[in-house]
Amino acid sequence: MRTDRLIRNALSHALLAALALASTDVLAAKISRLTPPSELFASNNANGPVISRFLQGQRFDLQATVQPDAGLTITDFYFSVDGSTTNPPTIDANYKLSYPLGNRIGRVDESASDASCIDATSGKTTGKSGCKLVAGLPGNTVVVSQRAYASYQAGVHRLKVVATQSDGSRISAEGNFEIVAPADGYAKAKNIIVFLGDGMGATHRTAARIMAKGYAQGKAKAPLAMDTFPYTSMVMTSSLNSIVTDSAPGMQNYVTGNKAENNQEGVFPDDTLDAFDNPRVEYLSEYLHNLQGKSLGVVTTADVFDATPASMAIHTSARGNGTGIVDQFLDDRAQTGLAVLMGGGRKWFLPNASNSVSPQPVNGSQRRKANDYVLSDDIVNGWGVARGKLDPERDLIADFQGAGYAYAPDNAGLNEAFKHGTPNKLLGLFAYSNMNVSYDKIAARRGDSTVVDAFGFPDQPLLEEMTDKALQVLAKNSNGFVAMIEGASIDKQAHLMDTDRWIHDVIEFDRAIAVAKKFAQNNPDTLVIVTADHECSGAAILGAATASAADLAATPNSGTRYVGTYEAAKFPKYVIAADGYPQSTLVDNKMLIGYGANADRYETWLPNLFPTKDTQQPFPPAQSPSDPSSRNKDVGYFVAGQVPGDQAVHTATDIPLSAYGASAAQFHGVIDNTDVFFKLASAAMGQ
Amino acid sequence: MPIVARSIALSAALIACAAVESAALAAQPATPASTPARTPAALAVHKDLGKPPAGVTDLKFHDIFKTPVGDKGLEPSATLLALDGKRVRMVGYMVYQQPEPRGMFLLSPLPAEISDEDEPLADDLPPSVVAVEIAGAANRPVPLLPGLIRISGVLHVGARTDTASGRIGAVQIALDAPIARALLGARSAPARPAGAGAR
Repeated sequence: MRTDRLIRNALSHALLAALALASTDVLAAKISRLTPPSELFASNNANGPVISRFLQGQRFDLQATVQPDAGLTITDFYFSVDGSTTNPPTIDANYKLSYPLGNRIGRVDESASDASCIDATSGKTTGKSGCKLVAGLPGNTVVVSQRAYASYQAGVHRLKVVATQSDGSRISAEGNFEIVAPADGYAKAKNIIVFLGDGMGATHRTAARIMAKGYAQGKAKAPLAMDTFPYTSMVMTSSLNSIVTDSAPGMQNYVTGNKAENNQEGVFPDDTLDAFDNPRVEYLSEYLHNLQGKSLGVVTTADVFDATPASMAIHTSARGNGTGIVDQFLDDRAQTGLAVLMGGGRKWFLPNASNSVSPQPVNGSQRRKANDYVLSDDIVNGWGVARGKLDPERDLIADFQGAGYAYAPDNAGLNEAFKHGTPNKLLGLFAYSNMNVSYDKIAARRGDSTVVDAFGFPDQPLLEEMTDKALQVLAKNSNGFVAMIEGASIDKQAHLMDTDRWIHDVIEFDRAIAVAKKFAQNNPDTLVIVTADHECSGAAILGAATASAADLAATPNSGTRYVGTYEAAKFPKYVIAADGYPQSTLVDNKMLIGYGANADRYETWLPNLFPTKDTQQPFPPAQSPSDPSSRNKDVGYFVAGQVPGDQAVHTATDIPLSAYGASAAQFHGVIDNTDVFFKLASAAMGQ
Repeated sequence: MPIVARSIALSAALIACAAVESAALAAQPATPASTPARTPAALAVHKDLGKPPAGVTDLKFHDIFKTPVGDKGLEPSATLLALDGKRVRMVGYMVYQQPEPRGMFLLSPLPAEISDEDEPLADDLPPSVVAVEIAGAANRPVPLLPGLIRISGVLHVGARTDTASGRIGAVQIALDAPIARALLGARSAPARPAGAGAR
């Protein structure tokens, strides 16, 4: 028998070797991806930076993409850390072996898929809709996982995956990761508030200071609220796959301690098509809710499904999957402690009953099966999360209300929700998608509601009002909270190079920071940090106009004629109204902004009457220009773009971070964005 | 319900008339949607559209939903409901779609593009977008027309799922047959540049 098997194996291997020689497409077995990511695996560099770091007890998934030899399959696999299996057996009273973590093991391959999932000629996966794996992998590839692993042993650890092929041979690969103990010696912060000015670089902050506070003889007349924070860092913002991040990893890197790829939230990249099955890493909110019972608050001026708010609690590799993202906010509230969710994005919460027989209510719902989620057993078992359901017909507002959340559709509704006391939980959806910017919300409060009326939402709260209400709700939890408050349209308007609107939104953002600073003064066990996910547009303060507002308005194609540089810029003077915002952004000798990461545009140096289009709105005003290259066309001065597309882009520039309150002294020097996570966690677990 | 029934019956009758033309439409070649086409005169927008033909009413995107938006979502306007089952004329932009639409296209109040294949960053279309259906041309790629276009056809109010994309639209128009013929016969124009969105 043994001889027969040896002969069969020898023949089998001879056949495989012959196949390998006959075709250059037949590759040797290999592990093409090992998660969490490491330089040890990627470049076999044991001395490179440790890419993946986790807190003691922070959960993360182990995963490998295994490409067996041609004609073979993977029959078994295991992961080990420092030589010990991560799925250890236990022995019961009857000496029977069992694997208690076995229900956290998963594998994904095309073995049960439609024939169209593997190209008949090349034998490679096709990545077609309905298949399991991305295109271009050998057809017998398998993605293997162990979910929700955690370690309490501080230090750098070796991760190994070993896979057994159907001929009994084994293939393996090694990587590493680090377990980090919280830093000692800092005051304990019960409450953590992260202010995220999306796209807010140093220029954005300075421009808001010049407009809101003014300068005299070279000195700012007063600081912004964020300027008063005593500790400052510069933050490196790169993502896992680019020096230039987008907003998804830009935010999630702060609250997972790990690098994600662009477009990805709370996950590492993988080789499967399902956007919700990627290897997960535990968020700060999940970690601190499970460990300390803290609540989570998410407040934004964007659509709540947007990359930054979702990167506080949602696990997906596709930031556009709105239906699944908003569902997961509610479904996993027991994991995150979600108590406050406020912003725009009502369109994802409305039922879309496609099977309705009678004409369905035309409510503008954008819920779709295609971007909803259903999780596999290994994820559900490992993480203890909801499985999810493809349910565009779900009435998510009603479900939030059923779960005890007060619902506010507008600013009046927000105040009404507090009329009889502070609610325990709060949902505010103030716009169909992104909220209007403060420039237009303030105009409405001063009597010109043209823009907010055109968008269909005349009564939207300002960020400072949302912040005040959110902190009231969150402060009810004696265990404390984690809050993320986002000035989202600093980025969105910088993309559009709408100078007056993004500066205005930095001022709104700073007024919200002032609310939180006051809260922290009254609650000294609070840490507040102000930062950005990345810089947007390469904005630069060029100087100021050498012309009056009237002359500037009369010559919208003045180009460089009135651009005053150096001493010609002097000190622009804006008048701040009683509501705290500039009476007008068009003043004599106004501040002028240029863009280093710009697309084509026509510059007039003047405020734009209407915001540039946002097609996610139900009533995009006809007056809205479609993009900066058509806005003021044939009116303004043409500035040739340096980037493709029709919008300015993010840059890789380091961004400033300011810290105030308990444990703020941790923030100094030049740090990586993932470092922020460990400092926040150290604050939460301090003395 | 009787009103709804009448509307559906009227729609069915009008669509049936259009179906007479469908055999001719199916035989015509068409420029793929990924290549912009020259806008045929029947769909071109000049400075003054003039009055709509007899039996046709102008419908504006802004008249599709009530304003301001209700606490639980959008509601169809009285104007829209009154036109259900009747012929309307609309002016808007053809949405640039990937994969290319077949037998239908989306009409938007603003220039827009979507790619269902590439997992779009967001559902980058306003809800007032109208699905324009071309009877008898279910498998025909629809030429992409740049700029503003005008169309006319029979309005249908009520959710309907586009089986190809899974997108659920609130309003549809069954395109008038002469306009459908002109559209499907449109010829290529120079290609458009790719764009990039906010992230």
